Amino acid sequence: MTAVVEVPVSFDDRAFETFATALAAAGDARVLVDAHATEWASPFGLVSLLCAGQAVRERTGSRALFTVPADKDVAAYWARTGFFQEAEELFEIHGTVPKVRQPPEGTVLLEVTPVRVAGDVHKVVDRIQDRSAAILATELGLEAKATLSFGMALSEACQNIVEHAGTGGWVAVHAYTWRRRLGKRVVVIAVADPGVGFRRSLEPTQARRYGDRWGDGAALEAALIQGVSRFREPGRGQGFRGIRKYLDRWEGKISIRSGTARIAMVRDWDEDVPLREGLAPFPGAQLQLVIPAVAGPAA
Amino acid sequence: MIAQIDVRAVLSRSVCEFHNDLVTRSTGRAVRSGIEAHLQEHPDVTVVVLDFSAVRVLDCSCADEVVAQLLLRTEPGAERDRPTYFVVRGLDEVHAEQIDEVLRRHGLTLVAEERGGAKRLLGLATDLMRTAWASVVSHGSAVPEELAIELSWPVDDARRALDDLAGHRLVMRADAHYLPLTAA
Repeated sequence: MTAVVEVPVSFDDRAFETFATALAAAGDARVLVDAHATEWASPFGLVSLLCAGQAVRERTGSRALFTVPADKDVAAYWARTGFFQEAEELFEIHGTVPKVRQPPEGTVLLEVTPVRVAGDVHKVVDRIQDRSAAILATELGLEAKATLSFGMALSEACQNIVEHAGTGGWVAVHAYTWRRRLGKRVVVIAVADPGVGFRRSLEPTQARRYGDRWGDGAALEAALIQGVSRFREPGRGQGFRGIRKYLDRWEGKISIRSGTARIAMVRDWDEDVPLREGLAPFPGAQLQLVIPAVAGPAA
Repeated sequence: MIAQIDVRAVLSRSVCEFHNDLVTRSTGRAVRSGIEAHLQEHPDVTVVVLDFSAVRVLDCSCADEVVAQLLLRTEPGAERDRPTYFVVRGLDEVHAEQIDEVLRRHGLTLVAEERGGAKRLLGLATDLMRTAWASVVSHGSAVPEELAIELSWPVDDARRALDDLAGHRLVMRADAHYLPLTAA
């Protein structure tokens, strides 16, 4: 029997819960990830799909089926984001994958890129600094200083995979307009892995301290709010502190989903909630950073 | 003896010649090891100027390994029989922020020269230390009695501030005089 897991029509961090719930309900059945009706996916959606693919492969021993978006423009866009290049190892893909070479100019600042070792983080930062500084400055009105700090935030976000996930993951960075949510251009960084997640990473050093309160939500709070690391030596756990400081300056937002919980540093412009628990289980950690344009509403 | 170390060049030698960015903790460890190896080969070096001019991105994890851990591992009483003093040079504002943050977390302080040439203390320092340090730098040296007169402080406070600076390796002590690192 095959369980069909539909990819939402507009697949971003909000719609993710519908997808995660359906995937969890599939259990050990063969999975068909059905994206034929999907019209748009954020970088968070794209890298989360890859996490799902890897998790299913590890859980069932076989690749999940995947249907390509029926809309040719959508499929072409996904191809240009680099999604299919990574997906073909994880899914048995059904449908036509368009052959494209160039990412959409001005939209995809960084294609879906695997992150496994520290050298991958160097490549990611290098590409972003080379290709995106002008876009960040012209489209978002960020000054040069902000683009250098952007590289720092991106690096720290990716290092979570290298240092804590116990497996590889992916990063993608897009710039687009959030018309309904913000009415501005934003840059969105999505970093996701299907690894051990925050709770298991921190459990050996933190679980006893929290007692009955220990869980996915407490682990996310410990990491993001208190800067706790699984490593005991002083000086560890500074990555999220640096990211938060950067986001504070640019009114940016961070949200992290791990296991059955999701935490967010909510801004005035947003309607998110700081902590959600009891969500459908999803492996690893999925992190999103949103940096809004300094300039006024998008045309 | 003063040694100037181009951190970007150490990065090239230690990790990869094509990297421009000091990012990731493992990169930081490799760069710090390269600097430590240089110091072991040159035991006569007293002041080390770490030049970040050619570095583009510096993240917190790498700053912690390259700067904070280097200071901690060379604290007086460690392997070397005399203190090693460190200055960071060529920082842009973002670099300075990262280094300041990691130093504060460890309770460390460091002399920095920014790209425009301005000198400042990064990390954790009391107001007394900062004021005394600014005076030492502006005059090229200080003794407690003169500093006390200049700042209208009790002599004991002036001496304590200068001793704190020397203890944190922010000035060098030569008999009764306290000297800024770059003038040493």
